[in-house]
Amino acid sequence: MASARKRSRGESLALRYAILGAWALFCLVPVLWFLSIGLRPRTEIITPQPIYFPTFSLDAWHMIWEDWPMGKYLRNSVLAIIGSVIIDLVLAIPAAYSLSRFEYKGRDDIGFYILSTRMMAPAIVAVPIFFLFRNFGLLDTIWALMLIYAAINLSFVTWIIRSYMLDIPKELEDAAKTDGAGELRILWEIIIPAILPGIITASVIAMIFAINEFLFTLLIASTPDAYTMSVALANFTGGSDGVIYNAIALVAFLAFLPVFLVVVLIQKHLSRGLTMGAVKG
Amino acid sequence: MARIQLNNIQKRWGAVWGVRDVNLDIADEEFVVFLGPSGCGKTTTMRMIAGLEEPSEGEIVMDGEVMNDIDARDRDVAMVFQGYALYPNMTIYENIRFPLRMRGVPKEQHDALIRRAAGLVELVDYLDRKPSALSGGQRQRAALARAIVRQPHAFLMDEPLSNLDAKLRQHMRVQIKHIQRELKITTVYVTHDQIEAMTLADRIVIMDKGAIQQIGTPDEIYNDPANTFVANFIGAPPMNLIAGRMEQGSFTAPGVRVDGLPAKHDGKVTLGVRPEDCTVTADGGHLSGSVYGVEPTGDMTYLTIKADDKLIEVKAHRDYRADLNSDASVGFDPKRIYLFDTASGQRLR
Repeated sequence: MASARKRSRGESLALRYAILGAWALFCLVPVLWFLSIGLRPRTEIITPQPIYFPTFSLDAWHMIWEDWPMGKYLRNSVLAIIGSVIIDLVLAIPAAYSLSRFEYKGRDDIGFYILSTRMMAPAIVAVPIFFLFRNFGLLDTIWALMLIYAAINLSFVTWIIRSYMLDIPKELEDAAKTDGAGELRILWEIIIPAILPGIITASVIAMIFAINEFLFTLLIASTPDAYTMSVALANFTGGSDGVIYNAIALVAFLAFLPVFLVVVLIQKHLSRGLTMGAVKG
Repeated sequence: MARIQLNNIQKRWGAVWGVRDVNLDIADEEFVVFLGPSGCGKTTTMRMIAGLEEPSEGEIVMDGEVMNDIDARDRDVAMVFQGYALYPNMTIYENIRFPLRMRGVPKEQHDALIRRAAGLVELVDYLDRKPSALSGGQRQRAALARAIVRQPHAFLMDEPLSNLDAKLRQHMRVQIKHIQRELKITTVYVTHDQIEAMTLADRIVIMDKGAIQQIGTPDEIYNDPANTFVANFIGAPPMNLIAGRMEQGSFTAPGVRVDGLPAKHDGKVTLGVRPEDCTVTADGGHLSGSVYGVEPTGDMTYLTIKADDKLIEVKAHRDYRADLNSDASVGFDPKRIYLFDTASGQRLR
């Protein structure tokens, strides 16, 4: 009886691993595929027959670092993204606190308006934004990219943080008030630490959106001074060399890697649970 | 440490009344318990004392100073919440330290104060843990330590024991009363548990529908209820209330007749008698009916008698047993009979 139960538990565990393994493979195959494209010679990319064991080649690697200022693009991407996330958090946290905690006329309308900025097609505002940045003398600068990425992501960063704040029991703030804390102190010492998983989640999603942003980057960046990884990819699709697939794949992989590493490092915080134990479970 | 006066306190949200005309004078070092069913306004009243809610009308006075316009953070009261409200990102040590930091207590005093407060609630060994690593009882004790650490003017406790199991609740009850007596701090305590109210309070304030029904010592509340609400709310099982008629000192209701009562209350009257003031008699008692239920609890037997369509509770001797539906006769202790006006529910004296 006991051994039968033990066996069935073992079987169910094996089944779970099999399903999770299959899912992991499903997600990982495209990544490994474009990595393998990036690490093979151009001649082995488009062939009539599939090549299962391609020749290992660092042609694309040398090309992107030697022929193109890829380091600069990477640095631009990282600076623009980090800057935009910082701007987003500085603006979104107080906004979300206000939307989730204070009662005032039109509060829900404001919340909806903030979210509605995500509902229009970005191309609609492309031309006005171009003129706006030109008038401010910000074209072709990292600052412009930071601002535009921050503007694009601000609404959902606010919304995500707000939803986490709504989950914080009101009792915690009441307790802090009777303990002698003011509003800013409550926000800084009680609310922000309690919603850290939410802040991290919102930041990671904002980073992913920012690293993939193409339209506005192309509009604002006109020289390698402000090119990012996503625009750099476009450099390999034209000109006399045709579409350089292995370079595209390798740059795509390099753009993917930092976000992937960030997610792996902080995945513990991506899940909720920090408020556990604050109030009765 | 503080005398708290509530003068004509009202709380409205639009057309909804939370609290009506509450007048109360809480003496220094007194332990006052607000008792009432859910939604009776007891927590709202406490939150107004804390400064977490603004009264629509009336004054809250502490030690002679009107508090209405003073922020919660500046009132120097400490509150213990039903859900503990411990800061999840801080250790228990940091949780207890938080009010000291906020109120500018010199740093060098912190450690001694924290250890003293933790000692009072037997939590010294858990100071480096996060709230999530503690049991319910330990979390409640941590919340208590955070409240007592800075010797506030008053303690406000909002159903602090309602999430604990019965045994732990009894233990914490004793602990809270002991600490309050030791620290001599005015305490306002909100609960819907009458045992907590009876055991802890110097005075009980019974509330219903936003209004105070009666203020008195536990003995007064139990033995001298002001109306049918109080009579029915206090006591387990509660007082038996039998609606009937009075004529020339005789009370009658279907299956019930009591003679020799004061002759001044003719008309519709409700008679009240507590289950422990009823005795099962061979026959010729004040009430006759049939046995509806017998519940032995070990130290006594709860007997339910059906008279007409009313169920009457009797606390009988622990050995008492009877067959269902057998005839039963119950006598009332004549000195312990209460009369209420049926229409208003108010006590007739």
